[in-house]
Amino acid sequence: MKWNSRIRCALVCLAFTLLFSVFSFRLVHLQMIKHDEYAGLAAEKHVYKQTIHADRGTILDANNEVLAHNVPGEIVIADATHVNNKEALVPLLAEHLQLPAAEIAEKLSAGRRYIVLKREVPQPAAVELRQRLREASLRGIYFERDSTRIYPNGSMLCHVLGFTDFDHKGIQGVEASMEEYLHGQDGYRYIEHNRAGQEIVTYRGQERAPRDGYRVQLTIDLNLQHIVENEIDAAVREYRPEKATIILMRPATGEILAMANRPHFDLNQRTQAKPEQMKNRAIIDMMEPGSTFKIVTAAAALNEKKVRPDTTIFCENGVWNYGGRALHDHHGYGAMSVQDILIKSSNIGAAKLAISLGEQKFYEYIRRFGFGERTGVELPGEIPGLIRSPQSWSKISITRIPMGHEVGVTPLQMTVAMAAIANGGKLITPRIVKSVTTADGEMISEFSPSVLRQVVSEQTAAQVSAALRDVVSERGTAKGAAVLGFSVCGKTGTAQKVDPKGGYTQGKYVVSFSGYMPAEQPEIVALVVVDDAKTGSELNYGGTVAAPIFARIAEKAARYLDLEPHEEPSKPVTAGKVALTKASSR
Amino acid sequence: MQRQRKQFNAINAASLARWIVLTAFLAGTGLMYVYCSVQLYHLGDRKKALETEIVNMRAQNEVANGQIAALTSRSALQRRLKEGYLKMIPIAEQSIVRLNAPTGTLGEDAVQPVSNQRAGR
Repeated sequence: MKWNSRIRCALVCLAFTLLFSVFSFRLVHLQMIKHDEYAGLAAEKHVYKQTIHADRGTILDANNEVLAHNVPGEIVIADATHVNNKEALVPLLAEHLQLPAAEIAEKLSAGRRYIVLKREVPQPAAVELRQRLREASLRGIYFERDSTRIYPNGSMLCHVLGFTDFDHKGIQGVEASMEEYLHGQDGYRYIEHNRAGQEIVTYRGQERAPRDGYRVQLTIDLNLQHIVENEIDAAVREYRPEKATIILMRPATGEILAMANRPHFDLNQRTQAKPEQMKNRAIIDMMEPGSTFKIVTAAAALNEKKVRPDTTIFCENGVWNYGGRALHDHHGYGAMSVQDILIKSSNIGAAKLAISLGEQKFYEYIRRFGFGERTGVELPGEIPGLIRSPQSWSKISITRIPMGHEVGVTPLQMTVAMAAIANGGKLITPRIVKSVTTADGEMISEFSPSVLRQVVSEQTAAQVSAALRDVVSERGTAKGAAVLGFSVCGKTGTAQKVDPKGGYTQGKYVVSFSGYMPAEQPEIVALVVVDDAKTGSELNYGGTVAAPIFARIAEKAARYLDLEPHEEPSKPVTAGKVALTKASSR
Repeated sequence: MQRQRKQFNAINAASLARWIVLTAFLAGTGLMYVYCSVQLYHLGDRKKALETEIVNMRAQNEVANGQIAALTSRSALQRRLKEGYLKMIPIAEQSIVRLNAPTGTLGEDAVQPVSNQRAGR
């Protein structure tokens, strides 16, 4: 009996031992051998990687005026599988999101788990909607953090700033070219949820803070931009051109101070803009520059010492047959100095200067002035223009290219070339970005002026400059570009519009004026291009249309920049439209 | 009697006290653990609430910054100027420093060269 009871006891103990051993083994198996597998499965159920969104950087002008910034908003998302009362939900959403009820109902009918109902919902509207949903115990609607890119100045500087897409990725202008800096780095945090879907803060896992996008400061001065925008608008009202472009630049540093194009669009309503309105014509439009290109011809001939400024060239009294084709001057000129060729804008004189250089040398100078290559400005989509090599020139090309025909240049290239003359022959890379800093002002990158090359000698630049000074006088083609108290240098250009079907379009011109001031120490260089101005053909010239626009801009810019007048004001020049006679206008 | 006395178990006060202390300690530790856990959750909730508040305040700040930028933008100021909310006073003649005296009456839209040596360049 005693024996049996002992055996029973031992058996029970053994059973318990075995049982607990099994439990222990199972626990060891679960906790140690299968730990990673089950921990992973548990984490999948409860642990989430929460993205902490970084803010996109702001864009500022040279005086720290805000040009682009973010306003927080939310994305309203629906999970159709969680919706408990579709009939009540649809009208509520339609009211708060200002969307058609039918559209919301259709989206919810799809039955998907992630339906974007509306993006960029302002925060107050989202807060109110959230509260109404809670009050009505409606489920299935979620909110994600979002932001709206706002451009406080609307259409001003639209082509330079560009815009972003739905994912806040820059797709045009500085928004695109500086994407690397503007786009921040999202952070993350591993969090655990309870059954109710609330975060258990105690169980937060690994975390990385987001890095907001950097601040990009432009060289653009909003005050000068405003002056330019006003003048381009006035020009559009007066001449109703197809297109117009104005660029204002500081020649010594290459800083672009203002850049405007027409047609344009409102950055805050970019979805309504047409493709034609979105083009930054200053860098993506190719034009035949016309007579403004003569600065290249004259500078090349003077630099190569083929001629001196006072060398006399016979201008064939207005008609010259070369290569079987007649080349005309606007007015019949006899013998003229090189200086006068620029002042009177003689096509024949310019052609003879180029011939004295030879095709190859002339081509070299065109390239040295930066034509046929991108300027390198920090804007996307810039084109290099079209400069053919001498091998593909026709017999008469050497007479047409010197007067700005048979070449395709961008307005920015033309401005940079004029800046090289203003700058003592130094070709400077144009810049539109001044610096990149963090939100706290720590410098990340600073863009300093970069001299590309010495295109012509200082002496040559001074000789061309002296001629350009007389262009803006009673003798020259651009007396309308004069600014009282300042000596202005510049060159007019009037080119017939190229017909896409071939040849030129009769009665349509691209008129331009490129100049700088003060001549002694240039502070600003500007280019005004007006494409197909609707004005009488006797007035459709660079000197009559573009030069007065330049004068008005230069005068206002001089006041703003507090430039000191050097010339004694002899007589007032009205800053309005100056009508020139046909004979003196090219 | 003997039997009754034999069945009587004397309480070992020291042992009892030891057990009571041990149990109390364990119970106290357990309660403290539960209290601390609850506090941790509570503080976590407060932390979350504060984080949400900071995020909301930051968002409000950004909205306010946006409104400031919009209201002080050049186009907005220009509009207010047109609507007559702002008034610009032209520079008085005596405030203009001239290098050369004006040579006659200038037209309404004529350019008046001015220079202010004191102004920063």
